[in-house]
Amino acid sequence: MLNILVLGLGQCGNRILDAMNREAFGRGGAFAKYYTRQKFPASVKTIAINTAINDLKGLVDTRAKDRLHVPHLHGVGANRTLGKQVFEDNKEIIMSEIDRRGTFDLIFIITSAAGGSGSSFAPLLVRELKETYNNAPVICIAVLPFREEGSIFLQNAAFCLKDLVEEKPSGVLLVDNQYLKKYAGDIKSAYDKFNTTTARRLLFLIEALNSEMLMVTDLGDLKTVMNGGIGIGTMGFYEASKDSTIKSAILGSFKPSGLLFPTNVYKEGARAMLIIKGDKKYLDLDLITKTIEDLSTEVGQVFKGVLIQKGRPRVLSLFTLNSVPELEKLYAIAAEAIRFERERQDKSKSQLDSAFSHIEDLEPIY
Amino acid sequence: MNGCRVLVVVAAAALLILVLPMTAAGVETTKVTIGVNEYVVLNNDIYIEVLDVSGDMGWSAQVHFYSYLDPVGTKKTLYTGDIPTEYPSGSGLIIEVTLDSVFSNAASFVIESSKKLYVTDRNAGEVETEPVAVPKLTITRTIDPNKAEIGQTVKVTLTIKNTGNGTATDIMLDEGTIAKTYKDGCPSTIEDIAAGATERIEYDLKIREDAQSGTREMPASVLNYKGESGVSDSTESQSSVLTIIPKEVLLPELTISIDPIDYVVTCGDDVPMVVTITNIGNATSEKVYVKGDLPPGVKLAKGGELEPVYESVKPDKGEEYEVTLVASEEGKHVVEMKMMWAGEEATAVFEFWAEKSGLEKYYVYIIAAIPILLILLWIIKRRREYSY
Repeated sequence: MLNILVLGLGQCGNRILDAMNREAFGRGGAFAKYYTRQKFPASVKTIAINTAINDLKGLVDTRAKDRLHVPHLHGVGANRTLGKQVFEDNKEIIMSEIDRRGTFDLIFIITSAAGGSGSSFAPLLVRELKETYNNAPVICIAVLPFREEGSIFLQNAAFCLKDLVEEKPSGVLLVDNQYLKKYAGDIKSAYDKFNTTTARRLLFLIEALNSEMLMVTDLGDLKTVMNGGIGIGTMGFYEASKDSTIKSAILGSFKPSGLLFPTNVYKEGARAMLIIKGDKKYLDLDLITKTIEDLSTEVGQVFKGVLIQKGRPRVLSLFTLNSVPELEKLYAIAAEAIRFERERQDKSKSQLDSAFSHIEDLEPIY
Repeated sequence: MNGCRVLVVVAAAALLILVLPMTAAGVETTKVTIGVNEYVVLNNDIYIEVLDVSGDMGWSAQVHFYSYLDPVGTKKTLYTGDIPTEYPSGSGLIIEVTLDSVFSNAASFVIESSKKLYVTDRNAGEVETEPVAVPKLTITRTIDPNKAEIGQTVKVTLTIKNTGNGTATDIMLDEGTIAKTYKDGCPSTIEDIAAGATERIEYDLKIREDAQSGTREMPASVLNYKGESGVSDSTESQSSVLTIIPKEVLLPELTISIDPIDYVVTCGDDVPMVVTITNIGNATSEKVYVKGDLPPGVKLAKGGELEPVYESVKPDKGEEYEVTLVASEEGKHVVEMKMMWAGEEATAVFEFWAEKSGLEKYYVYIIAAIPILLILLWIIKRRREYSY
């Protein structure tokens, strides 16, 4: 059984982690935690790490002992510089808390790239985890902000991703709030849906990695996939309808509607992993093999795993990309926002300096 | 008869004019002897004729009184010892006649009157001139003892005394009888008893086993006898009383009793009780078994013996033992202890009421509350586990 560590950093990471814990209770609803235990598909340890204690208190399905408050008042205020300093100051506390969970075969870091604590902690934590658990792949799930959330968040996202890539984790899986926004209603529902969707896909992946499958894919395959392209990827998902074939289900997981980050996987995909679950009667292995062979010509190397389970076919696709045009757009917007912000700051400073100049030679008369 | 009899000729009336007038306080008394079917005339007015004499049922003489003015007259039977019989002649002469003695064919009378009496005429025949020897028996009876148990024998003594001047013969004893008794050696006939002699007869009166206890009256002993003259007579004793008491039977009689300490107990608590066996009989009882019947929900506390066996229990002695019960169910419980000995048995019952303890009353609620409490504790635990 795989030992997997899932770290939720910052408010966003905490909530996705909480959603994973909630999903682990099954379909019991809000009261499930009072009468049942979490059932993860592997040996999963979770820790929610945050500088804002109120965010930790807001979690529902994460055990208290799995919540680590890094003491710095009530958060770092989206200040990554300060966040990095706080991490350095509390690095030992954080690592010892992780160390108490034992050893790990795989580590997920879930964080918002735009926030304060998560975006500043994540790159540094990757570095520390790589040093401490050098055999365990570290995969970051980075959540990108709404583009209109403001220049600070866009700036944080830009620099966070840059820092993350520089620390060379095993892979970065992008989740774009902006892209998922159109599938939800109000903002709360949207966030809940993002969190739940992301949590389910991660659990789907964990279950597949920990299971004996009809067609095998494992942790090594995951590492190979994540090493493809620029090490940045995303996940897609599709659940077949009653009359759809396994081929249409596989192809459905490549559709933009099933992806967590907008990309054309046929054009930009480097490597892929397909995990197929479903009743045996739906799983035509020949058709699966042929479909994947066809995909390989466009997407590159495709690893596949088939897991026999009751129900209609469900397909999780995990990609690494050769290029990320959407990320370029994000950086362009971020850069524009930064420049605009800087100009505003400069202008404001000039105005203030001009205002102050009126009294430059004067002294108070009282 | 016995050679002592002397017959005289009635015609020698002069000899019989043994008128021995006696005067006392104005009363003229004369004594005359009149043969059967003979008469005398007093003062040429009153005729006294003896019709018959008899020794049955006492000495008596049947006399016919009549006078010129009362030719029909009156016939009366006079008995010795009776009060005088009065006869008025109708002409003013009144006599009172008492039978003095009776002979074989004559009777002697004492006649009293306020007037001087003369025998003016006599129709005389042969008359006994000497008194006949007459026996007179008396009988007394004693029973010793006069109180006896059923099955015992008492001694009955009959004392017969002849106070007469003649020998009693043909003595027949008709002895009274008490039901369910047996007279052993009681004669029905008795030898002749000479004058002045006393005869003592003893016999055993055995009280049969089926006799009824209580006071029983033994009817009088009756003697029928005859004198030498052949005159029959009888006498009888007083009736006697014999008290028959029940036969004492040697039997053990056992009683059993239970002395509870408490009548109301708490379920689960000890219920001590003392069982007492007493022999109120008059014999030792061998092998006394005690059996206990415990109702459902009641059991014997450890270490106690509920059903002991006693080899013997002496009269007026007893055995006592204590047992401790435990009632596990509430309600009324009836403990029955049965004792058996020599084919007999006796039972004692002990009732007590078991109540649930104060805490036990709430067991249902407590039991119901436990899972709720556990669930609450679990919820609290999980809530705390997931609260930060």
